[in-house]
Amino acid sequence: MAFPKPQATLRSATGIPTGRLAVWWLLASEVVIFGGVLGSYLMHRLGHPEWAEAASHTNTWIGAFNTFVLLTSSFTAVLAHQAAEKGDGKKAAGFLVLTIGGALTFLMVKSYEWTVEILEGFTITANGFWSFYYTAAGLHALHVIAGAIIMGIVAADAYRGRELQRVELIGIYWHFVDVVWIFLFPLLYIAK
Amino acid sequence: MAHTATAADTHHDAHAHEHHGPQGILKYLWSTDHKMIAMQYLFTGIAMGLIGAYMAYVFRMQTAFPGVNVPGFGQVSPGEYNSLITNHGTIMIFWVAMPVLVAAFGNFLIPLMIGADDMVFPRINRLSYQVFLLSAIVLIVSFFVPGGGFGGAWTAYPPLSAVAEYNQTNLGSSLWLLAVALEFVAFLLGGINFITTLMNSRAPGMRAYDIPLVCWMIVIASILFMLSVGPLIAGAVMLFFDQTLGTGFYDPARGGDPVLWQHLFWFFGHPEVYVVLLPAIGITIDVIATFARKKVFGYKLMLYTTVATGVLSFFVWAHHQFIAGIDPRMANVFTITTLLISVPIAELCFVIIATLYGGSIRLTTPMLWALAFMAEFLIGGVTGIFLGASGADIYFHDTYFVLAHFHYTFFPIAIIGTFAAFTYWFPKMFGRMMNDTLGKIHFWGTIIPFNIIFIPLFVLGIGGEHRRIYNYEHFPELAGEGMFMLRQIATVALLVMLIFQVVFFYNCYVSWKKGEKAGKNPWKANTLEWTTESPPPHGNWPEGLPNVYRGPYEYGHPDRKEDYWPQNQPS
Amino acid sequence: MAEHHDQHGAHGAGHDEHAGHHPNYKKIYFTLLGLLVVSVVGPVFGIVWVTLISAFGIALVKANLVIQNFMHLKWEKRIAKWFLTASLVLMALFVGGVSVDVLNHEGNNWENIAAQAAVERGLAAAAGEEVVEEEAAEPVDVGFNAPNMFNLVCASCHGAAGDGKGAAGLALDPRPANFTDPAFWAERDRARIVNVITNGGASVGRSPLMVGWSASFSAEQIEQLADYVETFRPGA
Repeated sequence: MAFPKPQATLRSATGIPTGRLAVWWLLASEVVIFGGVLGSYLMHRLGHPEWAEAASHTNTWIGAFNTFVLLTSSFTAVLAHQAAEKGDGKKAAGFLVLTIGGALTFLMVKSYEWTVEILEGFTITANGFWSFYYTAAGLHALHVIAGAIIMGIVAADAYRGRELQRVELIGIYWHFVDVVWIFLFPLLYIAK
Repeated sequence: MAHTATAADTHHDAHAHEHHGPQGILKYLWSTDHKMIAMQYLFTGIAMGLIGAYMAYVFRMQTAFPGVNVPGFGQVSPGEYNSLITNHGTIMIFWVAMPVLVAAFGNFLIPLMIGADDMVFPRINRLSYQVFLLSAIVLIVSFFVPGGGFGGAWTAYPPLSAVAEYNQTNLGSSLWLLAVALEFVAFLLGGINFITTLMNSRAPGMRAYDIPLVCWMIVIASILFMLSVGPLIAGAVMLFFDQTLGTGFYDPARGGDPVLWQHLFWFFGHPEVYVVLLPAIGITIDVIATFARKKVFGYKLMLYTTVATGVLSFFVWAHHQFIAGIDPRMANVFTITTLLISVPIAELCFVIIATLYGGSIRLTTPMLWALAFMAEFLIGGVTGIFLGASGADIYFHDTYFVLAHFHYTFFPIAIIGTFAAFTYWFPKMFGRMMNDTLGKIHFWGTIIPFNIIFIPLFVLGIGGEHRRIYNYEHFPELAGEGMFMLRQIATVALLVMLIFQVVFFYNCYVSWKKGEKAGKNPWKANTLEWTTESPPPHGNWPEGLPNVYRGPYEYGHPDRKEDYWPQNQPS
Repeated sequence: MAEHHDQHGAHGAGHDEHAGHHPNYKKIYFTLLGLLVVSVVGPVFGIVWVTLISAFGIALVKANLVIQNFMHLKWEKRIAKWFLTASLVLMALFVGGVSVDVLNHEGNNWENIAAQAAVERGLAAAAGEEVVEEEAAEPVDVGFNAPNMFNLVCASCHGAAGDGKGAAGLALDPRPANFTDPAFWAERDRARIVNVITNGGASVGRSPLMVGWSASFSAEQIEQLADYVETFRPGA
């Protein structure tokens, strides 16, 4: 039951395929959402030197491991794109499944980390730092979950050789999620 | 005739795809057709507009006749009063101006005007409407939960909005926030669609400068929305946590800052004014070009001015916070940028006047609305200068002067602009002409009371009347006989205006049932939507999508017998 | 005209002109991992500027590598770069415009006393022996003063003079209690005053608009408020 695409979708007056153009705009709107959270956090953090004490309780090693996981999943996502460009849907789907595995690893590590912290008493209401910590990382984790779900749908299509251009689109989104984490990592874990 | 020529220059490989969607009533609810979604947005917006108007009626009755048993509502308690004014503002901006001007007309016009068969992502378009509908339902539910609807003004400043002990509407304020957030999601989805469609799906031959200005304006508005709403979404999440989890993002004693919310809100809130203003200006310029039978004066000037307005609109947000405790040095900066932005807006007005100059003007109903938009919006713009100057704003802040000022901008945008567009494109939407006499009665019956409502409010504002007071009898200096008389004049004028809207609905019904058949191009206009059937079928051009040969405003070309020259007609 | 259309209808399968530019993904991946190690090792030296560079400088380099090579922005059309840059510039504008008020706690003729107090409390707590986080976050008693608190939260309805004629109370029905009225005191004792402040008017069948304050004030503070209310009693 394929949905008949309108002519409009197939046109490309800018030279950028429609799907990719839309993903770029989506990312522009995501940049301002994360910019709002991280900008607010940055201003408060610089204005509140006492938050350094709270920040020293975050676990840099777990953060670094999660950075490693996301960088690796980005790598598999780009390999999926490479395979899709060559028209190899099965291989692309395989790499996408690896990427989903990365997402799940990330989320499991995250939930372990949060459980430990909450049991130690560092809840979202404990202090301003922890409020921002859970809000920013939680917003990011929501994007990881959404990305993993969409990637599952794209992988199922790609396995049957359909809609291969979407492998690149979900990849671009996934790299963006990675880039957000690249900034969250120093902001929440390293700067103490 | 022009439209007979269109068949010749269409290409025949454009496969008019069949509609595989569901049948019956689901065909309307589950349609992916951009025109159907436009109608859904339009009717939802009108329904929400009626709710907003009802709220205005209730609280205006309370301010003019304190303690009166309002017919159709009953006694208004202070909490209900706060909830009514809050939700009136929220509804009129987020659930009327945006869905009607940006979403309904954007959906209807963009594909038709650029010669495409649909939006680029029809299913995302449908999702956008469904999320919007959900948001409207959540908002309406929030009036009826225990404690009542949120009453902390549409700006929702913390700590009033963040702490349940202060606002007394624990559930109502959370639902209100949720509804607004869902509405933003809906418009982000819709906005991506509009922008991508305009950028990528123009008809062959259509250059950037051949796009009708209204499409540009709606798309620039969508870009402004997308780039400004992000921080507020982030801020809404933080406010939601403050309300529900008890975090202290906006509580200075716990390391937060209430002024941060004001910045997050107005960083979005001010561009939002331009998000709804630009489509209204675009509609006006298109209507005026058609009925002045004249090329738009300075198409590129208009476009660049619009872009400049959009860019500048990001630099003015803190003029809403002059007395909120922002640093006075920043107030100076924002005064200057605020006064600067009146330059491009004035330029847009001059372009419209220059377009009218020397034209052969036809005073049809849509043209009257377009001209009224200009006249009324000018009053709104000029009174805004007082509020933009930080010195004067200290006196005017939160008085009825502010209220009258933004109603003189938002009423022309949301109501007059919508009526201009609705009466102009009604033949295209429903295939029949609207009754012109009834249209003119409705026009005068709306415009005259509108001025009688809001001019007294300017006077009251200069008299120092604060805008959110439940019962003015408690303030001896505001309870004078003259001031009560002004309030009562405004309220009576509101009643007259609301009664005249019945003429509009009657006119819609009669014209829809037995109006004169419109044909393809009743106004003899140039843009592409007038080259197909009225109403356009699924896929818009059954005989193939059009090609474009010239700009949208070639009226009164000296070499031609006809005074118009459709965009899709080869030379 | 048909081929004209076909050009515009180029299938968006992602195989457009930027295909073929393939950076060595493996090399970039290992560079990223190397940079990650550097950013984790950076703080070991304990020098502030080294940490800043190794944390944020390297984050910028990593983000740039991912954006340019994995997202292929390097080969994208210029317009996409423009609007992505525009969104970043807007965020810089936002932080620049807001930080004057939010980052600073004092400025030209203003200071944010609550935020300054929060910083001082937090720093004092951190300087003391390993204070647990919740203690620092506990809302510190900044000195409860019954007359001031009455003027802040009660006087809007009951009036600063306790006569029940506060601005917000004028419209209320039933009327807010008038503490200067002998008839009021004729039928109420101190226990009842304390009870109404604690549990609200609804608990004694009076107006629910008089809310209970047990969540905001301690029992001791409510006693002090009741003491203050009793000072309005005629002849007290």
